[in-house]
Amino acid sequence: MVRYFTRLRMRRIYKWGGRPYIFDRKLKSYGFEYLNMSVEGQEAVTTVTPGQYILIEGNDDEYPFVAKLLKFFGDESHKQKKALVQWFLRLSEVPQNKKLLLGRSPHPQEIFYYLGRACDNEINAESILDTPFPEPGTKDTLYVKLSWDTKAFNVLDPVLMQDTPASTPPKPALPLFPPCASPTATPVSRGPVRRALPTPDPTVMRRAGSVSDTRATMSAGKRSTLEAESIHSASKLSASKILSAKRRGSAADTPGVRKKLQLSIGASECLYLRMKELRNSVCFPCFLIQVTPSTPRHATPSIPSRTVPARQPGNILEEARARLHVSSVPESLPCREQEFQDIYNFVESKVMDGTGGCMYISGVPGTGKTATIHEVIRCLQHASDMDEIPTFRFIEINGMKMTDPHQAYVQILQKLTDQKVTADHAAALLEKRFSNPAPKKETTVLLVDELDLLWTRKQNVMYNLFDWPTRRHARLVVLTIANTMDLPERIMINRVASRLGLTRMSFQPYSFKQLQQIITSRLNKVKAFEEDALQLVSRKVAALSGDARRCLDICRRATEICEHSTSHPSSAGLVRMNHVMEALDEMFSSSYITAIRCASLQEQLFLRAVIAEFRRLGLEEATFQQVFVQHRALSRVEGLQPISVSEGLAVCQRLGACRLLLLEASRLDMLQRVRLNVSQDDVLYALKAVRD
Amino acid sequence: MSKRKVKETHMPVGECISQVQMILRERFCHQRLPEKPVGMESQHKHLLELLRRTAVHGESNSVLIVGPRGSGKTMLLNCVLRELLEVKDVNKNVLPVHLNGLLQTDDRIALKEITRQLNLENVVGDKVFGSFAENLAFLLEALKKGDRSSSRPVLFILDEFDLFAHHKNQTLLYNLLDVSQSAQAPVAVIGLTCRLDVLELLEKRVKSRFSHRQIHLLSSLSFIQYLDNVRSQLSLPQDFPDTNFYDEWNDDQSVVDVLQRHYNSSKDFRSLHLLLMLALSRVSASKPAIKPTDLLEASRVCMVDSKANILHGLSILELCLIIAMKHLNDIYEGEPFNFQMVHNEFKKFLQRKSHSIHNFDKPVVIKAFEHLQQLELIKSMDSSTAKIQKEYQLMKLLLDHSQIMEALQKYPQCPTDVKQWAIVPVLET
Repeated sequence: MVRYFTRLRMRRIYKWGGRPYIFDRKLKSYGFEYLNMSVEGQEAVTTVTPGQYILIEGNDDEYPFVAKLLKFFGDESHKQKKALVQWFLRLSEVPQNKKLLLGRSPHPQEIFYYLGRACDNEINAESILDTPFPEPGTKDTLYVKLSWDTKAFNVLDPVLMQDTPASTPPKPALPLFPPCASPTATPVSRGPVRRALPTPDPTVMRRAGSVSDTRATMSAGKRSTLEAESIHSASKLSASKILSAKRRGSAADTPGVRKKLQLSIGASECLYLRMKELRNSVCFPCFLIQVTPSTPRHATPSIPSRTVPARQPGNILEEARARLHVSSVPESLPCREQEFQDIYNFVESKVMDGTGGCMYISGVPGTGKTATIHEVIRCLQHASDMDEIPTFRFIEINGMKMTDPHQAYVQILQKLTDQKVTADHAAALLEKRFSNPAPKKETTVLLVDELDLLWTRKQNVMYNLFDWPTRRHARLVVLTIANTMDLPERIMINRVASRLGLTRMSFQPYSFKQLQQIITSRLNKVKAFEEDALQLVSRKVAALSGDARRCLDICRRATEICEHSTSHPSSAGLVRMNHVMEALDEMFSSSYITAIRCASLQEQLFLRAVIAEFRRLGLEEATFQQVFVQHRALSRVEGLQPISVSEGLAVCQRLGACRLLLLEASRLDMLQRVRLNVSQDDVLYALKAVRD
Repeated sequence: MSKRKVKETHMPVGECISQVQMILRERFCHQRLPEKPVGMESQHKHLLELLRRTAVHGESNSVLIVGPRGSGKTMLLNCVLRELLEVKDVNKNVLPVHLNGLLQTDDRIALKEITRQLNLENVVGDKVFGSFAENLAFLLEALKKGDRSSSRPVLFILDEFDLFAHHKNQTLLYNLLDVSQSAQAPVAVIGLTCRLDVLELLEKRVKSRFSHRQIHLLSSLSFIQYLDNVRSQLSLPQDFPDTNFYDEWNDDQSVVDVLQRHYNSSKDFRSLHLLLMLALSRVSASKPAIKPTDLLEASRVCMVDSKANILHGLSILELCLIIAMKHLNDIYEGEPFNFQMVHNEFKKFLQRKSHSIHNFDKPVVIKAFEHLQQLELIKSMDSSTAKIQKEYQLMKLLLDHSQIMEALQKYPQCPTDVKQWAIVPVLET
């Protein structure tokens, strides 16, 4: 496939050509007639002139931006080279939610005249690619028929195509192609040179429309042979491989060669077929047009679906339980109105202005940080659908959902462009994306959850995340979430913390009133709880953590207890105080005391021996040997048969396994040190209750 | 004690015995689940109800089953799963995924295992997907695509849950629990652990996502219930092919004593099964019942001190060295000693008291000392052993006084002067 060498693998040289004329006296800028581009060390010079169509370096090597040159200008020193352009969009650059507005499946080569205002039409002339613009009549001809003004597709006004606003074009005006009357895409072709209207072959069109992998046909061809090969590149089989396969065609029957070739691509079966065909085939390009099946690039698996549909809640308690589940999305988010408003205003203003910014949000777990942001985004999406604000992209990454901080780049890029690349490459591509202007640039809202996990020693991931929004063309809003309020001060070095800025917000733990309101609003008129019971839960949780998740879980458990307390599930009434008390007990009470009470006699004796030894030593630590002496003495007092050392060790290990005791490694045998993991008072209390 | 006399009416004794052996062994070796778990009815109900809701309603849940080793956590879970899978609707609707903290020692392996058990690798053909990161993204994507009403619920069973908490960043736990708290494919995360403090191991954001349901399995059986259990464990099932067995509870005091002692030391069934297994293995065609003596013998085998056995196999010289060490321990109150000190003590004994022991050469004594070290009856205290000469390495004795005295009592033909020395140390005069 033809790659546009957007990464500077070779150095390109740009030179103004023609006579400069004064373009703006005040700014001391000069206009130029044309631009010469050449690759260092090569003879060939490409000249572009205003009015011509050009390809501009973009995020994606395979899909450079398309634009028409309007004017060249630069400053006195000739160092800065700028160009004014008229952008054209590919469909892939149209926002996802607007693609449907087209109302038909687009031609893969179709582009749209861009009428929006949001995009900077002044570009750096050095981002112009020297690759020739696809000629009409070739496979890569681009067609334009409609214009896009960020809200709707309109039929393109022919005047726009004819008119070249930048005066004094040495080149002839553009050819105008009348829009075709056919309702389906019979695109209008246009090219930089005057040509007759190419009549697209309907069969070609149909095929191109049906080919699932449009990338295959999207390459901008150079020469016809190469181009034919490039069509095929989607199947991962490079042109040279085909040629070499052809060369070795006669030997291909030997298993060795075949095996080797099979290894080189995934679909071995189809390769073999293709090779056979290759040998028989006289018409080389014809064969290449075949679409070969291959594994889809981004096959996403899913959990198999169930055979019997999930049962819907049957009674009030079940209904309440479903509503109280943390996963259920509530109709509204009560108690976070202020925070909601602040975040909303922040993001909205950035989206409206087309600028960027960072925000840091902190709060203990379960205080609704992520939920609030999702709510904000939902509202903003709605507003943008209503055309109240410009469209924007929302992407979300979570530090906990990646294995390594550098994976953040990969995930962001994948969500933005659906590309899968390595972390380093992704960083480079994102860097380019956020520092160069582009036609369709919509604002990107990036949510970074669990920010502290993105910490690296050099902090370059965080640095980049906060640096991009400050770029002029980035249009990136970064919302970050973490638990600690002073995270920027604690873990970030100065240059990172400075870029994060001071837009901070902290979510306070919920108070009992808020928790109560949350539950009530979730239940939404389903009467399943007594008022007092709710109040008890919310007070208890508010006093401990203010974690809404905990509160919901306790309520859920209480409904279960309520359901089981009666013999018949349907007869169960409201959730009462005692049910809630039981649920609270279950979740908050420490199990150590019960565990000690349920331990066997020797285990209890051993715990007593531990305490006795601690008292004797005046330390909170003793070796097993010392404790065991006490243990023997105690068992003599209790009138029990003394146990052997091995048994004693076994008892000690059992207590260690459930962490009533803390033990050293067991290879120390009798010398391992023993400590209590519970307070002495708790042990004594538990043991006393047993004896009574 | 239940005494089964297998009288042959239809079958020969040998066959009956082998039948009995088979049934009971299956029971004691945990190869077959019991009909229903004993002494944990409420926990059983709670867990069953919870999993049933996940399976039927598609409600996501997370729960921890906590209990000491051998308290029947896995047994309870397996019983519940068995019961759950018997329900017709559920049978084909759940995907259980079993993970064990001892096998899946890091998240990378755990993710591979989950993908394998969910049969997800087939979705992308035979494409072997590579990196850990891709793997995680892949699985999360899969779970995210599901929703409550249409996807099959996945039951993640994490055995040795506490070990998963030691994985880096607790990524796996966070993600599983996060799925269980968000509107994605329904999952139930069931953790089994014996650590009571397991929640303290979880990071705060992981902890917040856990539902805090804990099912504690703490056996509160009284001795009477314990005896009942022993009885039921030993009685044969109703559908035993030969009806000629009877159980007669034997109120033999010695048996009750044995069981009481066993009960005192540990209440879990695994150790009981071990005891009964030993007794069972003595049943044969010529002796077709478990007698109290069998149980006593089995108990003796169970309770025996492992070190005492080693001591019986020592030579007199080694025994003498151990006695010398014991005295050193007494003198220096448990401070470590080295070979030279032991040797001096031993020489003192030889000169003053001994009548029967030869005077061994020093290399021989060193050899004996090294042998003791190999048996791990003594243990070197320094970590860097290479630098110090062998004779001066500091050592500690890993034996209790009582063990030494007991061993001396039982040692065959132990010279009396050695015994005497063990009781009364050689005093400086």
